[in-house]
Amino acid sequence: MNNLSKFLSGRLFLGVLSVALVFAAYIWLTNRPDNNPALLPPISDIIGSFRTNLTSGSLMTALGASLFRISTGFLIGTSLALIVGCLIGWYKTIEYLCDPLIEAFRPIPPLAYIPIIIIWFGIGEFSRVLIITIACFMVCVVNVIAGMKNVPQVYVDAASTMGASRFQIFRTVAIPAATPFIITGYRIALAAAWTTLVASELLAAQNGLGYLLQEGRRYFLTDQVMMIIVIIGACAFIMDRIFRMIQARLMQWSEARE
Amino acid sequence: MPEIIVDNLTHTFGKGGKDALTVLEGIDLTFESGSFNCIVGTSGCGKSTLLKMMAGLFDPTDGEMRLDGEVIQGTDRRRGMVFQQDAVFPWMTVRRNISYGPRLRGAGKAEQAEAEAKWIEAVGLTGFEDRWPRELSGGMRKRVDIGRVYANDPDILLMDEPFGALDAQTKERLQADLLKAWNASKKTVVFVTHDLEEAIFLADKIIVMSARPGRIHHIEEVALPRPRTEEMRLTDEFLQIKRRLWAMLEH
Repeated sequence: MNNLSKFLSGRLFLGVLSVALVFAAYIWLTNRPDNNPALLPPISDIIGSFRTNLTSGSLMTALGASLFRISTGFLIGTSLALIVGCLIGWYKTIEYLCDPLIEAFRPIPPLAYIPIIIIWFGIGEFSRVLIITIACFMVCVVNVIAGMKNVPQVYVDAASTMGASRFQIFRTVAIPAATPFIITGYRIALAAAWTTLVASELLAAQNGLGYLLQEGRRYFLTDQVMMIIVIIGACAFIMDRIFRMIQARLMQWSEARE
Repeated sequence: MPEIIVDNLTHTFGKGGKDALTVLEGIDLTFESGSFNCIVGTSGCGKSTLLKMMAGLFDPTDGEMRLDGEVIQGTDRRRGMVFQQDAVFPWMTVRRNISYGPRLRGAGKAEQAEAEAKWIEAVGLTGFEDRWPRELSGGMRKRVDIGRVYANDPDILLMDEPFGALDAQTKERLQADLLKAWNASKKTVVFVTHDLEEAIFLADKIIVMSARPGRIHHIEEVALPRPRTEEMRLTDEFLQIKRRLWAMLEH
């Protein structure tokens, strides 16, 4: 009995429950006699669209193209953010130099750069990856800087009185102490990457998940639109889970691991 | 031999400004090699400031400090420090914390393991080698702090109210263990505290400071024999010193 109530209040059960409820509500809505399947396609149609796109190969091509853009933009953006953020957060001179720039550009949504990027670089692959890179960099760098600035002084003093050089303190104290912030920055960057990916593909692309969405709207294939939304949600969810696993592994030492 | 001399040291925070605050004035002190010294005083007497300057964490506005004739400037592994706050690195296991100093200087695996084995045993942490600091009590984390500084082999040990946040029993046990470690290595110790009993139990020499600005008020040579034992805390001699110093701090 105790075990059962533990299971019923546990993460797995409640998580599955909420998904199942939304699922059930959707089935109920689509089965109502006054439902218009062109606006709210039944689950069977969505699965049908999934099958069609899977066998024709278009889904895999789109997924491959989108995942490539995401991972390239994410890796470049976050790597730059890590380097720049560490420099700004650790060296006062660099901070004074770069802080006004970061603060000025930070509130600008990455999608606002799309027009100028198209003017400068056209609508090719480079432009799409560039937008994602900018988005990842901007949200990540702020967190890296915050992490570097929140390194407790007593750890720095302890290392320095043991004879550590400034660079050794950076490597053995500042980086690990800032890890929780840095990981959070990476996770937010991943979410930002998905947001900007779809937006950039909606605007100008011949393939990718955003393109399939656009195609679904153009030919009134609501089932395809729904299917792509679910795919994007599932991909983002899986990636975030992988990230959480990495986080749990890197943060074994922390009191606040979850 | 490592001997520290504090020579006519004065420190003013915000010197030149209208909020300038002189925390230390005309401090002259000699800490003899291998001695155990305690600095006591009410809060605001600048005792922690003095200690941090000896560590080289910041510079005095006037006067200087010398270690073996060499002017103290900046931090150096020769002057190790134990802080009042918890300074154990939470991202390293007990073992890795202890061998942090040797690793800074590029010690190999064998040398690190040797330092770990020696100092984990010396500070009484056997069996906890691979624990994370979050799994330890406050008293045990303090032991890691002390072991880590010892494993770094400094000449001078600066301790800033290291046991201030611990309960009375843990504190007494750590004091006894600290004396044991000191006896084995005979490093020069400068220990800041506001706990008179702690100072008398530990020190050869107690420096009593007065506040605002911090000045040397009195220097007490503690003649209690060594090794010090728990029973000594209740002897007439011990209590006499305590009463005398207590009156000074009250004045």
